Amino acid sequence: MSDGTLDLFADRAPAQTGEPSSAAGAGTEHSEGLRPSRTPGPRVWTVRQVNRAVRLQLEQTLPQLWVAGEVTNFRRQRSGHCYFTLKDDVAQLRCVMFRREAARLPTDPREGMTVRVFGGLTLYEARGVYQLVAARLEAEGEGGMWKLAFDRLKRRLDAEGLTDAARKRGLPPFPGTVGIVTSPTGAALRDVIAVVARRAPWVRLLVRGTRVQGRGAGEAIAAAVSILASRDVDVILVARGGGTIEDLWGFNEEAVARAVASSPVPVVSGVGHETDVTICDLVADLRAATPSAAAEAAVPDRRAVVRTLDSLGTRLGKGLAGQARSRRWRLDQARDLLYRRGRRRVESGRNRLTRERLLLAGIMRKGIAHHRTRLARAAASMEALSPMSTLARGYAVPLDGRGRLLRTTADFPPALDFGLRVVDGRVSCTVADNPDRSPAASNQAGRVRRAD
Amino acid sequence: MPTEGGLDRRLRRIEEIVASLDSDAVDLDEALALFEEGVGHLRHAQRILETAELRVEELIGAEGDEAREFEAPDQGDHDDGDRG
Repeated sequence: MSDGTLDLFADRAPAQTGEPSSAAGAGTEHSEGLRPSRTPGPRVWTVRQVNRAVRLQLEQTLPQLWVAGEVTNFRRQRSGHCYFTLKDDVAQLRCVMFRREAARLPTDPREGMTVRVFGGLTLYEARGVYQLVAARLEAEGEGGMWKLAFDRLKRRLDAEGLTDAARKRGLPPFPGTVGIVTSPTGAALRDVIAVVARRAPWVRLLVRGTRVQGRGAGEAIAAAVSILASRDVDVILVARGGGTIEDLWGFNEEAVARAVASSPVPVVSGVGHETDVTICDLVADLRAATPSAAAEAAVPDRRAVVRTLDSLGTRLGKGLAGQARSRRWRLDQARDLLYRRGRRRVESGRNRLTRERLLLAGIMRKGIAHHRTRLARAAASMEALSPMSTLARGYAVPLDGRGRLLRTTADFPPALDFGLRVVDGRVSCTVADNPDRSPAASNQAGRVRRAD
Repeated sequence: MPTEGGLDRRLRRIEEIVASLDSDAVDLDEALALFEEGVGHLRHAQRILETAELRVEELIGAEGDEAREFEAPDQGDHDDGDRG
């Protein structure tokens, strides 16, 4: 399109720039205009043609470049596009950063902040103003815009108390399930698995893989934390290996801070290297320098557990021995007391002796209370098996004078005296009449009974 | 939360038992039963320590409501920077 450049200096309309010339040719004001196009005289341009030509000139002759200056009037529109002016002592340059690029800005620059902007120059034809279309905006100094964004968010979280030491929860000493938020393909996960396998292989590791850098990483990390927080985990690790501040940016986003702060179980953050501190680190219950260190903090070492078990075993034994000892001691005390005092004051202290005896009885009673309960329980089950409980329900057992059981009509000849065993004693009875009786059956029954 | 009969649960129960045995609130038979229970937990805990193998599961799906055994990808295929 170098022809377009030449057109600016030619005394004619830019015929070969496509759209502008055809628009000019078709435009009604042109055909009905002041001057027919065939009339001799200076060539007259439309405004549109001029702006288009200047725009092309700007875009084609100046490569994309870095411009340093102070930011002023930075405005972020609802559309997501950002408008601002760069200025120095004597000059100003209008800039626009469109939504796509603006979304990558960690935060908005401060008024008067010294920045450098990378972009291309163009002319906004509708207004005839030229501007820099910014692709990137960076602040001077270490960390630049990232640091500004970090500091702003940190101040806000500090004010809310989310970074308070008082909010930090202790980690469970013996976690059963450990959740981990990290890249499923990352070195960080391999490190964590290696540490947990070595130290605490009885643990269950629950991984929620997520992207850990690039656009949307913050949201993804936050979502992964929330998902694990809703599962049966005892502690959550958030881990990522080292990287540039831009690589680690996801861990500096507010969404991550909120997810970590609202986790019902403690969160250990192990992001980057020792020197990298992220927002996630600050809100987490424990900040570990690296993913490996996070894993070491989250699970106990096998040897430590063995020591704990040993000591618990010892304490169990001592506890039981102590129980036995204290009982014997109390008994001995009471007996000695009774013996000594009893002998000395047997005449004048009968009452006291009685009291001592009661004291001893009380102690003994306490000691055997459970035995009595057990006895009572055993007695209750034996009772259930004896005929007494059947009698208690209203049944009676007829017995003859020798205590033999009378079972059938044959056992009851008329005028027989017999006893009836009921629940609380014995009643004497006489058979008045017995029309159903069969003498043969009687003998048989009697024999069977005797055979018993 | 720890799994039923897991190390955490057993250790906590033993701690409780030791605390009961150190107090005067139990009678002798109860103390004996507690002691035996504690010894049982100790044995189980030791067995867990001796035999456990690390289980790694991965939560997948948009809501993470599906779990499957985690398979480590090949070395070198990582996107999260250097080793920490």
